[in-house]
Amino acid sequence: MDRARRLDVTPTATASPDAAPDPAPARKRRRSQAGLAFIAPFGALFALVFIVPILYAAYLSLFQERLLGGTTFVGFANYGKLFKDPQFWDGVGRVFRFTLVQVPIMLFFAMALALALDSMRVHGMRFMRAAIFLPYAVPAIVSTLMWGFLLGVKYGLFGSLNDALGTDLDPFAPGNTLISIGVMVTWAFTGFNMLIFYAALKAVPRELYEAAAIDGANEFQIVRAIKLPALRGSLVVTIIFSIIGTFQMFNEPQILPTMVANSGVTTYYTPNLYAYNLAFTGSQQGYAAALALVMAAITIAVAYAVQIRGLRNASDQ
Amino acid sequence: MRLSRKVRLLCAALVPLFGLAACSGGASGGGAAGGGNEPVKITVWSWDGTVEKAVPGFQAANPNIKVEVVNAGSSQDEYKALDNAIQAGSGVPDLVMFEYFAVPYFAIPGKLTDLGEFGAEKLKDDYVPAAWGDVTVNGKVYALPSDYGPSAMFYNAATLKKAGVDKPPATWDEYYEAAKKVRALGGDHYIAQDTGDIFFLLSLIWQAGGRPFKVDGNRVHIDFTDEGTTKAVAFWQKMLDEGLVNTKITAWSDDWNRTLNDGTLATQTMGGWLTSTLPERAPKAAGDFRAALMPQWSEGEKVGAENGGSSFGIPAAARNKEAAFKFLEYFTHGAGLSARVDAGAFVPNRSVLESEAFRNKAVDYFGGQKVGAVLAEASEIVGGGWQYPPFFEWARSIYGDIASPFYTSGKISLAQILEQWKQRCVQYGNEQGFQVD
Repeated sequence: MDRARRLDVTPTATASPDAAPDPAPARKRRRSQAGLAFIAPFGALFALVFIVPILYAAYLSLFQERLLGGTTFVGFANYGKLFKDPQFWDGVGRVFRFTLVQVPIMLFFAMALALALDSMRVHGMRFMRAAIFLPYAVPAIVSTLMWGFLLGVKYGLFGSLNDALGTDLDPFAPGNTLISIGVMVTWAFTGFNMLIFYAALKAVPRELYEAAAIDGANEFQIVRAIKLPALRGSLVVTIIFSIIGTFQMFNEPQILPTMVANSGVTTYYTPNLYAYNLAFTGSQQGYAAALALVMAAITIAVAYAVQIRGLRNASDQ
Repeated sequence: MRLSRKVRLLCAALVPLFGLAACSGGASGGGAAGGGNEPVKITVWSWDGTVEKAVPGFQAANPNIKVEVVNAGSSQDEYKALDNAIQAGSGVPDLVMFEYFAVPYFAIPGKLTDLGEFGAEKLKDDYVPAAWGDVTVNGKVYALPSDYGPSAMFYNAATLKKAGVDKPPATWDEYYEAAKKVRALGGDHYIAQDTGDIFFLLSLIWQAGGRPFKVDGNRVHIDFTDEGTTKAVAFWQKMLDEGLVNTKITAWSDDWNRTLNDGTLATQTMGGWLTSTLPERAPKAAGDFRAALMPQWSEGEKVGAENGGSSFGIPAAARNKEAAFKFLEYFTHGAGLSARVDAGAFVPNRSVLESEAFRNKAVDYFGGQKVGAVLAEASEIVGGGWQYPPFFEWARSIYGDIASPFYTSGKISLAQILEQWKQRCVQYGNEQGFQVD
């Protein structure tokens, strides 16, 4: 809440120097203009790569392209159609479910690994840290191909496993594909989140640990009373990053169908994939633009809700 | 994506061959008999690497026309780029490559030049009839065919022999019996694979005489219940229901390559272009594969179908149409054709298909078989009158969404899939301004 109030204040604060009957001396005004010059390069780039594309997408979303009859202005019809489009909501539902299950699991692993590294009891710590982080550096396309081979039942590792155990599990059966994608994403991003947690733990003043040791606290009590509370802020950050990341899921469902047939991945498997297919095979750029904007709004709303809630909890402390 | 990937792979394989030729091309010059008097430059968008091969000879004969061949992406990427260029009114190329099913997409909204004004009609007899039909929309010619995909059956003779099938199945009934024998070998032995390949299913329908799409101007009629369609769909349904088809292996995947290599997949009913990629996908099966016509629906018949192929057309907004047509004719029909054929292009020109050199060439990979003669015949017998709806590019992209549940659960039938597909096509087509029913 505190942050929201601060946000409300900012615009008026920046606007006030421009209000003409300002009794403040000219020197103050000059200073504020110098500030504007400093942010101008950023402002120009921000407008160019962020504001302009969004405005253009908003403009596009008001039109409908047709093979016959060309492009016509349709107002908000694309949005109306979108809200009734079961394929869009199917994709949205899928990324929501995915987020609800995968993000907690991934962050739990990341946190556990960060605590383990921070405990100083792990041998080869630098190696471990690099090894856990490394998957993050592997492009999603490469990792999807790699996992495709690992989990393939015909000739992949999973096939051998099935042969050895006499089982008949298929990681890419339509019901299991989302779980397999979850495994891929968890593998790729656990290390990244671990680093964020690890950095937060490194920032904890050593005096606290000394005090705890003098009080006779054991390692678990230290974790519970010092380390976990210290991770709260970074937890909010990692959750937001993860939500944004999973809502934008694209590479995995885009590549999987070329490796495995009938894995249940449709052209509207995730909202991003749907937007891509609408724009590039359906020539419905306007509709795709509307979808992208609505999806951005949903993502911002969810991320913002998490942030507000996270900060409120942090201030409750 | 499937077809375009084939084409892409093909091009990737061909491009290195022509890079050198293209580089050395500029130097040759000095021929007479140019086009117009003013020097002009034409831009060609092509993902077919063999087109470059025809440039040096053309420029030697037409010193006033400079040809620039650009790869603007394959298939849908290129169509998108063309649409954008037309919309922007600048950067429109003079010649563009289209898969056959994309010709109506551009021709119907008036984005392509009617080639009748250049006398294209008189070239008709050089092309196999179905290929000519592919570039004709509402009675007018909008492109010239440049490569062709007559459907043929490639079979692993060793596997069939092991199963007790001594000659390739000539009818679909024989095919069905052969499928049971192959399956009896056990393990992963199947006569074919299918994970929802719409182009394969359509080629079956095509051959059986079904014509599910009827296009007349802006009107599109879709019907998957005509006699031929019903017969073809029922047959393949039976093959699937009886477990005679491997529904786990998808074409163009790594798994597919392995099964082609180890001989567990006995046949592939696909476009003739498979000859260009099969040897590298299944090197261990060298000498085992042979080509044959598609099995027939009744004994003694000879009807074929098509599975892929492309053509070149001139956008309505192109600047140098006359020069463009000159080059188009040169590399799809005239003196430039042989250079492309030597480079591996499979063309629907009778002058090539009927030539001794093409028909009598024994191919080692196919056990010394004269594959050219088989594919030439397969091209000649393709059933006519087939039409694609203008929005086929989109339609095929969503087919998998509908077909996939069937191939994994077996709950609904192929006929129901096609009916659902039709409903989606009707909705989309009408939204796009056509009258679809």
